[in-house]
Amino acid sequence: MKKVGTPEYDLSDKLKYHVSALSTAAKEMALPLNITTHYPRERKRQPDCFRGYMLFDPERCISCFQCSFVCPANAIWMKDAPSGRYYPTVDYGKCIFCHFCIDSCPGGALKTTKIHDVAYKTMDEMFTSTEEMIEPPEIIREDVGVVDYVIDKEDLSLKRTKEKDALIVDVEPSQGVPMVSVCVDRGSCLACKVCDRICESGAVSSVVEEATMTVKMAIDAEKCTGCGLCVKECSMQILRLVRK
Amino acid sequence: MATVTETGKGEAEWEVKIPEKKLKDRLFFENLKAMVIDTQMCSRCLTCVSICPSELIVNEEDIVDFPNYEEKCLDCGACVRVCPRYDYKPKSGLGDYMEFTAGKSKRFKGQDGAMGTEFIFSAIDMGLIDRGLFVDRDEQWRTSVFHVRGKEQLEKLPLGGTKYVFADILPELKKAVMFSKVGVGVVGTPCMVSGIRKLQEEFPVFREKVKLVVGLFCTENFHYNEVSKYLIEKGVDFSKLIKTDIMKGKFVATMTDDEVKFKVSQLTGILPSGCNVCTDFTAVESDVSVGSVGSVAGFSTTVVRTEAGKEIWDYIKKMGNAEVGEGKVEELDFLINHKKEREKNIKQ
Repeated sequence: MKKVGTPEYDLSDKLKYHVSALSTAAKEMALPLNITTHYPRERKRQPDCFRGYMLFDPERCISCFQCSFVCPANAIWMKDAPSGRYYPTVDYGKCIFCHFCIDSCPGGALKTTKIHDVAYKTMDEMFTSTEEMIEPPEIIREDVGVVDYVIDKEDLSLKRTKEKDALIVDVEPSQGVPMVSVCVDRGSCLACKVCDRICESGAVSSVVEEATMTVKMAIDAEKCTGCGLCVKECSMQILRLVRK
Repeated sequence: MATVTETGKGEAEWEVKIPEKKLKDRLFFENLKAMVIDTQMCSRCLTCVSICPSELIVNEEDIVDFPNYEEKCLDCGACVRVCPRYDYKPKSGLGDYMEFTAGKSKRFKGQDGAMGTEFIFSAIDMGLIDRGLFVDRDEQWRTSVFHVRGKEQLEKLPLGGTKYVFADILPELKKAVMFSKVGVGVVGTPCMVSGIRKLQEEFPVFREKVKLVVGLFCTENFHYNEVSKYLIEKGVDFSKLIKTDIMKGKFVATMTDDEVKFKVSQLTGILPSGCNVCTDFTAVESDVSVGSVGSVAGFSTTVVRTEAGKEIWDYIKKMGNAEVGEGKVEELDFLINHKKEREKNIKQ
């Protein structure tokens, strides 16, 4: 067995280290340096794609449930709105801020913000309704400056600027993997036209030809947003999402 | 009837052929209602319930109905496409068969030889199917359908045995077909077998997934509300009831301490109208037909009809899962003819 002992220093080493420690202490007394942000008087500048509090735009939502399906923490619960649609609600007690919901939203209805400091008094309050997600939450801003961390020559220093950082910015929505809906078992199609009725982008079409008693079904790959609504609604489960 | 024309443009464009409407300018469900339900032809096999994309056709108060169909019906014609009674071609007789025999399961206990259960489990053992549908009952003899995937599930449920009450097998069959990765096995009455064949004829997904259809010999089947009321009047206590059977023209309800017997002819009052036009006793369209008539007590008469049925029957014999008995074709003649006489009730 190998034992780890204390390193052995000779007298010159000990003197060198003591002088170094004393000089650092003297420097700090004269000119204090810190590498922490003085929150809430200062805020650290976050990148635009920061994963923070989420905002929701009902105009863009197609009620496809994709956000609630993809959520790994089961934090998103779809609730019925007076318009007959289903809109997401987020339980921030469960949310892990992975923002898979934002990345998977085909219509770009969910949006990230740089807000990360929302306080709740109870667990119940963390359950955020759809209405609360439309407008950003009320935040008391005491900050007067922004802090940027600058790394140069393997040394970390702080750059302080007197300005207020915008917490809500427009971010280019994530492109994701373009998907398109296809029918994998055309023989089992009932021609119930549910896919046509449900499609928001008008990609699915069904034309009844009375003369020959046939229904012509078609999916326009150009228009299809890959939201998967028709795939979920098809009662015969013959539609699939595939890569474009 | 092939329903799809290949347009050759990949998976993005296809055509579906819908049936002609007998009553023009009316919804398909109205056609079904006028032709089948209102004419007392409906056997309540529930094939339409299983296929309806809006899932709003229901079996309520012993009548198949679609509340508020004027607004909610999608008018796709699926119900008309699959209804075995819409263009009714009555089947009767013993039908084609490869082997007429009898069996008694060594592994399971049932009303007779438990051959229905044996066929499903042997098919699961062979890897031909991964799920079988069984009808279970509660203490009040109400039926419910179970998806069975292994033998261990059977120990908890009193599966075997005739209930003489309709069960919602076909709606469950669709669910099973959607879930199953290999195949599904199902036991049903002749009308249900016809419904399954019609589904298979129309939709490839059912052709692919429903691998085994065991038909039951069936003279008639009753609706729960009617038969329970009648049996309670006759003094049957459901909490003590062990089994029900029809033997030598008599309905026998065996209880733990008593037995109630009466002539089957007394039940004609509550005989469902759909059974009144049914001429199929032996489930002609099944892969294997099973029933108690035609073999000695304790054995089930087994009529192997198709290659799929033969394959499983050979497996059962090879593995020694069942004792092989002797089936007597002539014993079936009386009931086959009895049901054939119902042809005169069909007016179309």
